[in-house]
Amino acid sequence: MTATAMDRSPAPLLAYDAKPDPISALLMLLGAAGAGLGLAFVFYALLVDGHAAFNTSSDMAWGSPIAFYLFFLLTSSGLSIVASLDTVFGLRVFHPVAKRCVWMSIVALVAGFSVLALEIGRPFRMLWALPVGMQFHSPMWWMGVFYSLDLALLCAKFWLMHTRRWHAPGTHGLSVLSFVISILAPGTLGLVFGMMAMRPAWYSPIMPMYFILTGFVGALAFVLFFTAVLPNQRRKPNEALFDVLLPRLFFVSLLAVIGMRFGQIVTTLWSNYEGMEAHWLSLDSALFKIEILVGLALPALLTATNGMRANRALVMLAGFAYLIGNFFGRLELLINGQKVPLFKGYWAGYVDYWPSLTEWMLVPAGIGIYLFLYGAGEWLLRLAEAEPRQGRTS
Amino acid sequence: MTRWGMVIDLEKCTGCQACTTACQMENARLPGEMWQDVLFYSEGEYPSGKLSWLPRPCMHCENPSCVAVCPTRATYKTEDGVVLIDWERCIGCKYCMIACPYGVRFYAEEKQKTQPDIRKVFPAKGDKVWDPPYKMPEHMQNPKWGVGIQPKNVVSKCTFCYHRVSQAPKGTVDLNPDDPKLRPYTPACVVTCAPSARYFGDLDNPSSEVRQLIATKRGTRLLDQTGNRPQVYYLAGEAPAIPETRSVRSGRKA
Repeated sequence: MTATAMDRSPAPLLAYDAKPDPISALLMLLGAAGAGLGLAFVFYALLVDGHAAFNTSSDMAWGSPIAFYLFFLLTSSGLSIVASLDTVFGLRVFHPVAKRCVWMSIVALVAGFSVLALEIGRPFRMLWALPVGMQFHSPMWWMGVFYSLDLALLCAKFWLMHTRRWHAPGTHGLSVLSFVISILAPGTLGLVFGMMAMRPAWYSPIMPMYFILTGFVGALAFVLFFTAVLPNQRRKPNEALFDVLLPRLFFVSLLAVIGMRFGQIVTTLWSNYEGMEAHWLSLDSALFKIEILVGLALPALLTATNGMRANRALVMLAGFAYLIGNFFGRLELLINGQKVPLFKGYWAGYVDYWPSLTEWMLVPAGIGIYLFLYGAGEWLLRLAEAEPRQGRTS
Repeated sequence: MTRWGMVIDLEKCTGCQACTTACQMENARLPGEMWQDVLFYSEGEYPSGKLSWLPRPCMHCENPSCVAVCPTRATYKTEDGVVLIDWERCIGCKYCMIACPYGVRFYAEEKQKTQPDIRKVFPAKGDKVWDPPYKMPEHMQNPKWGVGIQPKNVVSKCTFCYHRVSQAPKGTVDLNPDDPKLRPYTPACVVTCAPSARYFGDLDNPSSEVRQLIATKRGTRLLDQTGNRPQVYYLAGEAPAIPETRSVRSGRKA
């Protein structure tokens, strides 16, 4: 597998006759172990205790599984947007990561959906009840529509790339449609929270933009991290992308997230509105500190200068730190919106919540699914492949 | 068409929780899963401390946000104004629990607050959450209304005792528990209320007792600014305010 331009000759769909490189093999191994362990644990716990194995309650209805789901789905949309910089907007410099990003986006969606399926009370009922319900007023219904479309379009887009039909009729149109959906899907997911006026800690018209932006930065962090552990990506023709452009884009986008988050924090701490005191309470939480210090401050410091951004180890570490902070930041967001109970009286107190062991085991389950499928893609699906340069029209 | 609603007179309510207990028994709810609850608020310190309370059923809103967010339309509003859950359609996504401003919805699949876990003491066969020794007759249970012993992994809430109310003779204006003929059709919490603080009737009928009370005693709805427009009204009498704050904070130091 190389990143060089290639001819238009038919290629085997799967390179299963080749041995996986050590990194891909390691990713698949780690992924299989994590997914196997995590899923076995969660399935057993659900079988014995049902969803009482989670620490969620009628007061904290949405817990960590939803946060993990958010992490995967928003990152997936961000990856689709990164791929679109090339496939839709013709920024050819992003071409070497376009196909990889589409695959990563698909895989992140699969991981996110898997986690969600383990959280939803009756996941199989969704298959008929959602289309039959047709509840246009529900942002969650639209979210289901957009993410289903997103997955279908990403698969179609990847198929066209994989079968070297970059210029087949309709390819560009499909890429544009996929890009639009990859904006609408996380935006609607933002509305699921942002429209809830009865949950003041979430209520914000900014929420969709915040979700899209943090997902985009997460996607850049994913690309920087995973291409760093795949050294064959860092070939000479791609140096400008990996050593200059992607780290710079990551840094600038991160600054935008920091600005937006700072605005949120100041606004929410200033407000006396009922329910907003959750943000005061969160100042003392470990989740908030990890989000701000590890997820925002550290990566910004690590990529603050041109010299630092050219240091691949630092950039990789910055990407990893952002992902860690972002992961726990999603959980903090979930808790903040439900920390102040709705009409439970003065004696009820604030809602205490920390994920159970079963919930934490969804982490290796989700990440394991991601790593396994990503490693398999790296091995079998020619992710570093680029289209023939002469055929490019944009 | 009838539009059922409730009026609760806070000057009469003693906070005795008989309504809560009656609801639990009538609908076979789990401990802590109180479709009908009485909330307590305390303010100030000795010697000027004050205790107040607020009975809180489902508000069966005119514009229920829970209905709007339900992606499968499992939560719906009946023609006679009651908000119900179709347990055969609910996927357990819990979005309605997020969107209800009054916190009146419950999900049984959680760690029990009291031990032993009563679900394991009275285990159910099949898909039900539990099999309590006392429960309403089978013919009165209706999963399409969210009435009866609930299946696992679905959301539940107060139904205004729809298994009773829906059977009321056509044209009934007031469901007065003092009338022996109407008592079987009256919600359990209204029937059991010792100081008769609860009234139940047709909100759209100008001659109904609930309408008269709302008009003459300044009936108030909780969180009216949400636009949900509850069909449960409170009469605060001479009290300065209904303790409607949902917050648990007593004030922040400047």
